Amino acid sequence: MKSGIRYILLIAIVFGCFGFQQNYDTNAKVKAVYLYNFTRYFEWPESMKSGNFVIQVIGTNNNLNQELSKLAATKQVGNQKLEIKASPIIDKESKPHIVFLLPESSGSLPEILAKLKGKNTLIITEKAGMAKAGASINFVVDDNKIKFEYNKTNAAKAGLKSNDEIKNLAVAVY
Amino acid sequence: MLILWCSVSVAQTDSLFRAQDLCNQKRFEEAIKVIDRAIVDPQTNSDPFSWHLRSFAYLHSYKSKGQNNTAYLNLLDTSLASAIISNKLDNTGEYKDNNRNFIKNASIIYYKLCSTFLQDSLNNEKSLVFYEKYKKATLLIDPEFNMKAKDIEYYSATGAIFSELYINKNFDPKYGDIAKSSLLKVLEMDPKNIKANLNLGVLYYNQGATLMRQMDYDVDLSQLDVIQENAKKLFKQSLPFMTKVYELNPEDKRVLEGLQGIYYSLNDFDKSNEFKQKLEAQNQR
Repeated sequence: MKSGIRYILLIAIVFGCFGFQQNYDTNAKVKAVYLYNFTRYFEWPESMKSGNFVIQVIGTNNNLNQELSKLAATKQVGNQKLEIKASPIIDKESKPHIVFLLPESSGSLPEILAKLKGKNTLIITEKAGMAKAGASINFVVDDNKIKFEYNKTNAAKAGLKSNDEIKNLAVAVY
Repeated sequence: MLILWCSVSVAQTDSLFRAQDLCNQKRFEEAIKVIDRAIVDPQTNSDPFSWHLRSFAYLHSYKSKGQNNTAYLNLLDTSLASAIISNKLDNTGEYKDNNRNFIKNASIIYYKLCSTFLQDSLNNEKSLVFYEKYKKATLLIDPEFNMKAKDIEYYSATGAIFSELYINKNFDPKYGDIAKSSLLKVLEMDPKNIKANLNLGVLYYNQGATLMRQMDYDVDLSQLDVIQENAKKLFKQSLPFMTKVYELNPEDKRVLEGLQGIYYSLNDFDKSNEFKQKLEAQNQR
């Protein structure tokens, strides 16, 4: 009888395995959301409210750069267009609004702080101890999520006014 | 058609002869009218041939409407029910083989419909209705049939089709939920099923990644935390399925890639790198 029923398998039903959204970097998306949101919690001086709003990434993270490019294509900061720079060099003329120092470039924080002194730049890092070493914001992993530490003294030193609410959102405030 | 001619019982009345004649002329709808009267006639309603003939007429009437015509499914259901009654009344087994063929025919048609609704219409609810009918009919003709294996095949196929649909239809959760419940059914029956474990792992991961992907850049930071939390739960739900596959087959590249991605999304970079290195080692072999 069983052999008689075998032919009932009429249609070769698809039974494959399906792929991950492997080209999608969730970590990069979260950081892009943070970077854009920080523009709401800090106030740059009037002199920096015209022209492009520049976010400079120091270090290599192609997924993050792609995510930031998408961000720049769809959002603005006030009336300012977003400009994403992926360059390891901060020249004398440039005055980026935000510099994001990726982990492998953290060693250059002292040099960057010196170059950006008095330029009203929000310095963001992603390595343990950086908030105490001069960064205003430092990304950390807490409970499998990306959160941030906030150093209000460093932000004030950079000449940035901040909304007090950011202190409530940070996992640590220095 | 010939199978009926040689099975005529001495207890037949004129109405059954008339019905049989109409069947042979392929005038099934007229035959049905006659047979439906015969099965309520005290002279013929306990005759297995009446029900056997009814099963035949209804089956062929259904087939004449077009095999995938669901508007006339009552004809097929009636054919099946009549064959069952005929078998119960058939103490000598005179109609047993033919009735079994009618039931088998119904079973095949139900399975075709189940597959069509699943693959073409992507209507899993209707597909399931016909799958259940197929199972009932199949077990009537072969009570020993390995239905567990068939169930695994059916729910695996449903899970795979709706997993793909979930991806192709912009991660619409309704498709993901169908895929998930189908694959969980497979694992209830076969906990070590590699494809079901893998597909469920991928599904949960993709659902978490979708939450992140669909998030707007200007989402409020307090909301960002909620989204991260929800995505994290989905990534963690993905882990046991992927880990199971890894235990069963630690060299499967798909699972190494999967675990690398899941741990990365959980921001556990040490674990992610561990599986990345294993994957690279696999690729170098």
